[in-house]
Amino acid sequence: MRIAVVMKLVPDVVEELVLSEDGKRLERGDIALKANEFDEQALEQALLLKESSGAELTVIAAETGDVDEMLYTALAKGADRALKLVGDGLQDGIWNAQYAGILVDVIADVGADAVLTGVQANDDLDGQLATWLAAGLGWSFATVVSGVEAAGESLIAKKEFAGGLTANLRLPLPAVLGIQASPEPPRYAPISRVRQIMKTQSLEEREVTAPAGSITVLSLRPPEKTGGAEMIEGDVQAKAARIAEVLAQQGI
Amino acid sequence: MPTGTDLPVAQRAVFEGFQHSWLVPLFYVLATVALIIFFYGVYRRVGRYRAGKRATLVRGWPRRIARSLMEVLTSRRIGRRDRYTGVAHAFIFWAFGFLFLGTTTIFLDHDVLGLVAPSLEFWKGAFFLGFSVVMDVSAALFIIGLVMMAVRRAFFSTFRLSYRRVDGKQQDRSAYEREDWWFLGQLLLIGVTGLLLEAFRLIHDHPWFQGYSPVGLAVAKGFEALGMTAPSAGEAHFVTWWVHAFLALTFIAYIPYAKSVHMLASWANAAARDEKAAVVLPTQETGAQTIPLTPIAANLTWKQLLAVDACTKCGRCHEVCPARTSGAPLSPRDLVLDLREFLGGRRGTAAAAQGTLSAAATALRDDGSPLISADVLWSCTTCRACIEVCPVGIEHVPLIVGMRQTLVEEGEMDQNLAQALMNLGRKGNSFGQSERARAKWAEQAGVPIKDARTEHCEYLWFVGDFASYDPRAQRVSQSVARVLHHLGVDFGILFESERNAGNDARRIGEEGLFESLAEKNMKALSQASFDRIFTTDPHSYNTLKNEYPAYGLECEVLHYTQLLQRLAAEGKMQIVAPQDITVTYHDPCYLGRYNRVFDAPRELIRLTGATLLEMPRNREESFCCGAGGGRIFTGDSLYGEKPAESRIREAAGLHGIESFVVACPKDMAMYTDAAKTAGYEQQIAVEDVIFLIERALGIGAKTPEEVNA
Ligand code: SF4
Ligand code: SF4
Repeated sequence: MRIAVVMKLVPDVVEELVLSEDGKRLERGDIALKANEFDEQALEQALLLKESSGAELTVIAAETGDVDEMLYTALAKGADRALKLVGDGLQDGIWNAQYAGILVDVIADVGADAVLTGVQANDDLDGQLATWLAAGLGWSFATVVSGVEAAGESLIAKKEFAGGLTANLRLPLPAVLGIQASPEPPRYAPISRVRQIMKTQSLEEREVTAPAGSITVLSLRPPEKTGGAEMIEGDVQAKAARIAEVLAQQGI
Repeated sequence: MPTGTDLPVAQRAVFEGFQHSWLVPLFYVLATVALIIFFYGVYRRVGRYRAGKRATLVRGWPRRIARSLMEVLTSRRIGRRDRYTGVAHAFIFWAFGFLFLGTTTIFLDHDVLGLVAPSLEFWKGAFFLGFSVVMDVSAALFIIGLVMMAVRRAFFSTFRLSYRRVDGKQQDRSAYEREDWWFLGQLLLIGVTGLLLEAFRLIHDHPWFQGYSPVGLAVAKGFEALGMTAPSAGEAHFVTWWVHAFLALTFIAYIPYAKSVHMLASWANAAARDEKAAVVLPTQETGAQTIPLTPIAANLTWKQLLAVDACTKCGRCHEVCPARTSGAPLSPRDLVLDLREFLGGRRGTAAAAQGTLSAAATALRDDGSPLISADVLWSCTTCRACIEVCPVGIEHVPLIVGMRQTLVEEGEMDQNLAQALMNLGRKGNSFGQSERARAKWAEQAGVPIKDARTEHCEYLWFVGDFASYDPRAQRVSQSVARVLHHLGVDFGILFESERNAGNDARRIGEEGLFESLAEKNMKALSQASFDRIFTTDPHSYNTLKNEYPAYGLECEVLHYTQLLQRLAAEGKMQIVAPQDITVTYHDPCYLGRYNRVFDAPRELIRLTGATLLEMPRNREESFCCGAGGGRIFTGDSLYGEKPAESRIREAAGLHGIESFVVACPKDMAMYTDAAKTAGYEQQIAVEDVIFLIERALGIGAKTPEEVNA
């Protein structure tokens, strides 16, 4: 089996988010980017598959920012190849539809028969990447998956539904999977190994051209503060009085 | 009794009463065999150590040997916290020493001088008389010491002598107990037969100088009262002589093969002991190593192999270890014993375990588990209490960290810990918060804080993660800033250029992360302009002071309590509001045991006017809060009871304690929680020493808002 794991950078919401002047996009130069955490789950799931059933594992990421460390870390964790997609315009960020458009050819060239990627990302404005990829490739597809096992020419994917219902699905290869969670948490890659990999291995690069995007953002803004919680201070009497007051105000 | 100068010269024949001339050579043959066995055993041991890796020879051998000699001669490290055992060991040690020297003297006199220059023989006359007294008293003390040890072993239910494992593994350790008793028993028999020999000889000869053997004479009188006569004493003497000789020779022969090897290995280990063990962890150049969980000799340094042999199973480390005390599967004693058994058999006599390094790295024992389990290793708080108490100078923490490196390499760790490491790698702080938020606390300090990157300052304040991001510890930082400002200290911080100092990362076993953090900090420090550094966090303090010099840091590093102590000594601290409260103080491991800063915080507390009561475990014996060595990230896993709660209870046991004073931001977090969960929140306030000082200086009454206004 050949597995491709598709990763991407997303805005790090721990850091401040800066809007561009026209208010239509994030100022990519001023915000911090990090690996999409669901993609890290997909990578861990792929590594587990590789360990349990043997597979060649290629990690792919478009250079929508500094992806080197993310790719080297994936190699340090056990991926066999790391492929960086470079090209004009990628640095400004791309839509998932565009990303999928680029990836269809790349995945064909890699010869992958299974593609794993995160179930979602915090900047999915136009639907999830896994869905776009499945549509583009025309492969069998499952998403919100929380466990994958190899079974000959197919994959068994575990999917959890609301109400505690679990389904095991058989997907004939080739297949695209959107990973919600890996059975094991993403492993830790020691810094020394990442540094070692940086010295001894290099990333493969491939020139790509992104197809035109079809969606236009009209405006983007931080959520407005609505309501909020009030900490009621004071002794028991004061607290009770304040609670009574609030209840009365709300007409409850 | 004859008196004065007409006395014959006091002396006695060596092989007195030997009727058969062939018995003397027989003794020499046996003695030679014993020595051969002894030296072969030593040779085997040394061979095992040589199978280990080279380690840079620690300098200062004359001083080391003198130090360990003093420690051994005074039984100081044994007597610490345990007078009884210290006294008993001193009796046995000194008496054994004298008796051994005595025997050697006779050998030199009789077998060397007697052959080459009989006129020089000196074992006679006044020397002989003094000798008799010393030997006689030694024999008595020897027996007393051994009986004290036996009584302790048999009747005091001393926890540390229990060999029960704490990790749930089943192991029959009765052989250890048999060995202990055999060791005691054989020594006791040697002592008793020696004394009997003396008594029988006195009954037989009744020389005029018998009074110079007071104990022997008393025993002789006893036997005579029971009806022993000179001829029967002569016969008994002959038999006892051989029993005594046989016991003594077998003892010598088996010294390197059993518990008695500690007479050699422990002393050697004490001499090789590194006073900075765990304080400065070894780097690649100084013999650092990733140690597999099932190591072979070649994975360890010769020093570590020696240490593993030197353990006397005294159990002191087992007793004080906060992990063990809290129900975790780690016992530092069992860690050492497991390594010893695996590397050299239970008595350490087997040949070096063979195998290739790469095979060893993944080797498992027969039952498919590694020798030292991940849970055992992750239980350690690196508090250094084990190293502190070990009477023979075994260094457990570097061993544990070496094996943790293997766990990190294999990614075998608690998820929270992995998250903390990833945060440290990405953001330079374990909280995973924005680098830019690092100095947010400063906005609420109410006093201006210089940017050391752009302005020169006398003191660079290395704030540290907890003091920067943890809300409870932020109050400490703000208070420190106000106090220093009040005292007119010229200080600044690195703002978002500061990174976690890496002390914990290194002790977690993530050496690469430590290096990367140290490099980043060194870069920031080299771009700032300052004369000295002080820190809030004892953990940062430890690594900056002791480990950063290897990365080029050259200036003085202080803890803030030391800085304040200096200011107090210069008379700069004007106490306007003496604090009339009773407090106790908790020594943080990395400030106290690691860096011997015990007095600065105490002096400051007294300066504020507070009354300081000491907890039973104080200073070197302080009990870890449980946060060190990365354990603060792993949560309560592996621990039954929280060490911090046990500590709060210890404090609550003191009469009238109002405040539990700390000098470490992590302690602030740990003990605030522990006081709550242990139910002492109403009774005992947890506060940093800086809060006391701020109040005493009369600047603490204001809230940050008031100061800002
Ligand atoms: S350092 Fe502390 S926790 Fe670790 S083994 Fe030693 S005594 Fe136990
Ligand atoms: S390691 Fe040291 S303290 Fe622990 S049992 Fe052995 S000799 Fe005693």
